[in-house]
Amino acid sequence: MTESATDTIQASGATAAAGSSPVMRRAPTEAITLRNVTMSFDLGRSKRMTALEDFNLSVAEGEFVALLGPSGCGKSTVLRLVTGLEQATSGEVLVEDRAPADLAKSHRLGVAFQEHALLPWSSVRENIALPFRLARRAVDWQRVDELITLVGLVGFEKARPRQLSGGMKQRVAIARALVLSPDVLLLDEPFGALDAVTRRRMNGELARIWEEQHITTLLVTHDVEEAVLLADRVVVLTGRPGRVRHVQTVDMPRPRHADITRSAEFRAVVDHLTDLLDVDRKTE
Amino acid sequence: MRIRSPRWLNNAIGVLILLVLAELIGRTGIAGRSWPPLTEVFGYLTEPVAQATVLRALSATAASAGWGLVLGIVFAAIAALLSTFIPVLRPGLDRLASVLNAVPLIALAPLLITTVGRESTPAVVAALGVGFVMFVAFTAGLSGASATHQDVFAVFGSARTTTLLRLQVPVALPTVLDGLALAAPTAILGATIGEWFGAPRGLGVLIVSAMQNYQVLLLWAAALTAALLSLAAYLIAVRLQSGAVRRFT
Repeated sequence: MTESATDTIQASGATAAAGSSPVMRRAPTEAITLRNVTMSFDLGRSKRMTALEDFNLSVAEGEFVALLGPSGCGKSTVLRLVTGLEQATSGEVLVEDRAPADLAKSHRLGVAFQEHALLPWSSVRENIALPFRLARRAVDWQRVDELITLVGLVGFEKARPRQLSGGMKQRVAIARALVLSPDVLLLDEPFGALDAVTRRRMNGELARIWEEQHITTLLVTHDVEEAVLLADRVVVLTGRPGRVRHVQTVDMPRPRHADITRSAEFRAVVDHLTDLLDVDRKTE
Repeated sequence: MRIRSPRWLNNAIGVLILLVLAELIGRTGIAGRSWPPLTEVFGYLTEPVAQATVLRALSATAASAGWGLVLGIVFAAIAALLSTFIPVLRPGLDRLASVLNAVPLIALAPLLITTVGRESTPAVVAALGVGFVMFVAFTAGLSGASATHQDVFAVFGSARTTTLLRLQVPVALPTVLDGLALAAPTAILGATIGEWFGAPRGLGVLIVSAMQNYQVLLLWAAALTAALLSLAAYLIAVRLQSGAVRRFT
């Protein structure tokens, strides 16, 4: 079942056997590590739902990894574990060799959720500046304006969220995630609520933005094209409980423009991964 | 085709119908001698002596209600903050608030006369009524932020006080002002009831003594003044609330 998941699983298996301190036994370039993680939720009346089982994943520093899987396969749970918002039932989750919550506390984490969650009473500029305020730092307005330019919202600085389209709100949310130059960027289906055309355009923009900074990124999505266009590696998950089914390395050259989605190589990878997702549904 | 009249016109027509009805009942005398025509009540209020009496009472009641409002809001805010920051206290505070609210103010007033005194009873009774309404509004408002908003603040490493000031308080404002629209008339009602039991002055005192001495016009004048004060307080709060909704949602 996990034919191509070999690299991650073997790597973590070997290190687990070494048994020395966590800092010593991992390569220093590993930014995110999930080892033998199981996550189950209490549903009451002595029922439990297992979202993830024996899950292994590692993301190297500066790498873009996409988690691909059917709805409800636990991919958002992986992301929430990495943010530190949830604690694993068993297993180990490390971000930069420390507990995930440490990164959030030291304001080096950037996250964009499917719901943009902008503050309705603040302008675009104030919304993007929010992480500075939450970190109790002086707002670097030059940086804020840089990001407004980067996400293409010049002229909308003073607009309030309800005056923006869905795509624009997501761009603000992504700018907000990037403003503190985080070490790790987590994207939980940030374009999930958008229509196909806007979504494609946003993917192109995200690819362009990412080329400029190469931040360690974990993207959760159920859109195969989105995953292949953006990621260095695509991790396909099985249905509940979530396990790694397949790891696909995407080594198409960057920068990847929208026209790459028409190339034979791109289509082949997308078809292969779509089949894997489909097999999953049949066996469900 | 339906003709739609503006809202203020509808309101004005409604008030006018009510006033005319009250006047008619008074004129025909079908409700007895204790229901005077409204024009007579207003006429009575133009007399300088009556006017001075009512105004003196009004200022006393307004002051008590104002103090009660402030006290109630302050205590409610403290209790709501405690229950937000120390979750252990929450069920206890909720219950205490419900119990305090379940005791009828009219039963508390005589008790308060003997404890806090005749002067302060109206403000304290007002504060009790206000306190409960505002406690409910504060606690509901402060826990009103969406789960995703809370997640966003958590992942950006926001401290609890920062989350309170930058997320919970702005989210709570419309709800709190909703509560204020209920609490402001409650304060005036509470102050008036508090005055019934032997306060030195106020609209409540005026109502009781007018009732005992069968001064029908004075009774109506005092009651109408209390109602208008209450209505004014309500309208101001509603104005503030709609402003807050525009700004914070």
